[in-house]
Amino acid sequence: MSDIATTSGGAAPSAAPSAARSGPAPRHRLWRLTQGAGLILGLYVLLYALYAYQQPRALDAYAIAALMNNTAPLALAAAGQTLVVLSRGFDLSIAGVISLCNVVLAVYPLEGPGGALLSMLLCLAIGGAVGAVNGWLVAYLRLQSIAATLATMIICQGIALVILNAPGGYVSEWIADELTGRLWGAVPVSGLAVAAVVGLWLLVRRTDYGVALYAIGADEPAAALSGVNVRRTRFITFVGAGMLYGLAGLMLSAQTATGNPNSGTPLLLLSFAAVALGGTSLSGGRGGLFASVVGAATLTLLQKVLFSSGVSSFYTGLFQGVVLIVAVVFSGLLTRIGERK
Amino acid sequence: MTDATGRPDTGERQPSFREMRASGVSKSYGATVALEHADIALRAGEVHALLGENGAGKSTLVRIFTGAVIPDRGAMQLHGETYAPRSILEARQREVATAFQELSLVPNLTVAQNFLLPSLARPGRPLISARQVIARGAEILERHGLRRIDPAARVGDLPLAERQRIEIARAIENAGRVLILDEPTASLAETDWLFEQIGKARARGVAILYISHRLAEVREICTAATVLRNGRSIGTVGLGDASDGDIFEMMVGHRVEHTRRPARVAGMASAPRLAAADLAGHGLRGVSFQLGEGEILGVAALEGQGQRGLFRVLAGLETPTGGVIRVDGKATAYRTPRAALRCGSGISYLPEERKTEGILAGLSAATNVVLPFLPRVGRAGLIGRRDEEKAALPAAQNVALSPRYLGFAIGDLSGGNQQKALMARTLATGARTLLLFDPTRGVDVGTKESIYAAIRAFAEGGGSVLFYSSELPEIVQLADRCLVLYGGQVFGELEGADIAEQKLVAAMIGHGTRPPAGHASVSSAGPVHAVAESAR
Repeated sequence: MSDIATTSGGAAPSAAPSAARSGPAPRHRLWRLTQGAGLILGLYVLLYALYAYQQPRALDAYAIAALMNNTAPLALAAAGQTLVVLSRGFDLSIAGVISLCNVVLAVYPLEGPGGALLSMLLCLAIGGAVGAVNGWLVAYLRLQSIAATLATMIICQGIALVILNAPGGYVSEWIADELTGRLWGAVPVSGLAVAAVVGLWLLVRRTDYGVALYAIGADEPAAALSGVNVRRTRFITFVGAGMLYGLAGLMLSAQTATGNPNSGTPLLLLSFAAVALGGTSLSGGRGGLFASVVGAATLTLLQKVLFSSGVSSFYTGLFQGVVLIVAVVFSGLLTRIGERK
Repeated sequence: MTDATGRPDTGERQPSFREMRASGVSKSYGATVALEHADIALRAGEVHALLGENGAGKSTLVRIFTGAVIPDRGAMQLHGETYAPRSILEARQREVATAFQELSLVPNLTVAQNFLLPSLARPGRPLISARQVIARGAEILERHGLRRIDPAARVGDLPLAERQRIEIARAIENAGRVLILDEPTASLAETDWLFEQIGKARARGVAILYISHRLAEVREICTAATVLRNGRSIGTVGLGDASDGDIFEMMVGHRVEHTRRPARVAGMASAPRLAAADLAGHGLRGVSFQLGEGEILGVAALEGQGQRGLFRVLAGLETPTGGVIRVDGKATAYRTPRAALRCGSGISYLPEERKTEGILAGLSAATNVVLPFLPRVGRAGLIGRRDEEKAALPAAQNVALSPRYLGFAIGDLSGGNQQKALMARTLATGARTLLLFDPTRGVDVGTKESIYAAIRAFAEGGGSVLFYSSELPEIVQLADRCLVLYGGQVFGELEGADIAEQKLVAAMIGHGTRPPAGHASVSSAGPVHAVAESAR
């Protein structure tokens, strides 16, 4: 054999062409930054510092909990959306599932901690069932994900209107109080819920399913030829995403304490914004759930900062859009600088 | 066929059953018959070649063996038992694995992760240990003589040749009984490593199916060959008894005349159509050359010597960090392929990777061909149903692409026809300079002849061609002049009768009149041997 053993290709100087070609080009540190949640986390911290500067009470436990409560529904929705986007798909049913869970909780309130647990299971079941339908349509019947989930979204919203045709109803007190409260006066429950999801994701990422998810997002035929069960992976993804939307519906209901058949609609596009802001590639296979959660938190915090700066709420969308463009351009720029090494 | 000695003793299996046998296998997609009737028997410890033109049904047969496609009819036996895999995993469980021509590696995963797909976690453990995955990946790389590759490297960051080696190593790793290698040398400049791995697998008693268009290679490693033509297996021959002519005849159905490169002196009187001076960057370290009117200039090099960078820079895909490109005598600096096409008499580029850089898989072959001049196709900006096919017809005829394929989605055509369509597109741009990067990579003899004819006709008409080929006989046949790249520099330049394989090989590995700047010691005996072999 004529192989020249070099330590690992990257470090080899270009002196010997046959050795230098083996390793990948060395990555710049900037490039690594764009891979994780580092960039968006930095943006969030910066924004929070601005917020704290404007509102000295922003660091109070109460203010943090309030912010978390506002953040949780979008963060969970974005988390679910991330799963589908990673598998190279789009999930529009997010709006339908959240609305449906919300009206169910508002029309059939179940009191007490036991009732809350049942409500949560109910939300998970609704989300999981809609996700299963999506997964079946996309993975097994090979419908395009936008078309399939658009249909399920419309169906869910229709059902939501049947259950509750106008804003009203009330969510059980236990859910509205406890899920928006603080444990030991300090730790916001909504924050814990999001943290639990992120923690679960960090584990899932290290399973065979997690690797398969990234594989089918990047190159489905290659993944299939490598032995990955593409259909099952895609199906599980939609079910998991649906359950996360169910959780988002629960947290939204806890926050608003009332029902609205259209409550999920604003979260639809914002969930994509959060995913993109977190640096997850909309063409699949690259990104992560935690970054999307931070992206969602950033969008929510931006609203607060604008509000406390006295900017009219009509401008919120405008600023969110600009931040999104700037963040995506900036991350693309860093990636390009990094890849040039 | 007496080479099965030294295989480990596996007592319980009868030697006569140690084979994979397929009989009467067929598969059609709707009205299209991909495979009509194939019979083949692969014996343990034997390397068996599968030959045939593109579209003859080789890929379908491979997919059937692998479990990716389920045949309509026919039976298969593996070691005496019925073999009917319904998935790739099932085939893998029966120890049948394939190194695919189009490479089945997932680009965003690491080398080690790709090796272990789809089960990275240890049995019974839900979580994957990243360290263990790397360690197991390193172990596999080590076993296949690829220690220089970092198991933690993302596959997408590796050069094509290394990806191909990884694909092969993965298949060997999973192939306990049958190993299928589909065009394993498409991106490899030397066969040394591959043949060593094949030798090891053969010694273990693995039956190997070897698919390649390079007959020299097939003769070197295989003992028998089965020829497929139009979806039928024509017959199996011992390679010792059959001449190249016999095999070509079986493949094509008629004798192939061996065309020789006409001794033609290019008209260098006028200003060169394309000239580069001291190009640097993207693997180039000061490359200068001139390409005249009506000239076919070949580029020969081992893999990774800067040829890719050269073509991409000239095509406008990359911006050089130094040097000047002159088109028709005028210094230019174009930065996109579109600008290159409009620069002077025009430069058109045929890219290396057909699947990702060339075809638009969902569109028809005709659309793919007429893309560069689409605005001229329609009437008043609207394109009628048949307009594209009509407009593509002359270009298709140039490369002998059958008009009946023009209406098909190009992704459904065989690799050879896709390549013909791309060649037709490159010609149809009207550019007077063509940059062809490995224009016959992975295509059959018939397609090759058509592409050669198209290139020659283009040069006869005063066009200029710069082409790189990983196959030396191609350069010998086609080129009027040949540049040899080594370490990002032009190491040698051969002309006319001097373009012979031995001389090319010597220059390609850095031996010759001009010493390369400082790294002559890199080459070892290995590549010399390898290139000499593959050049035969």
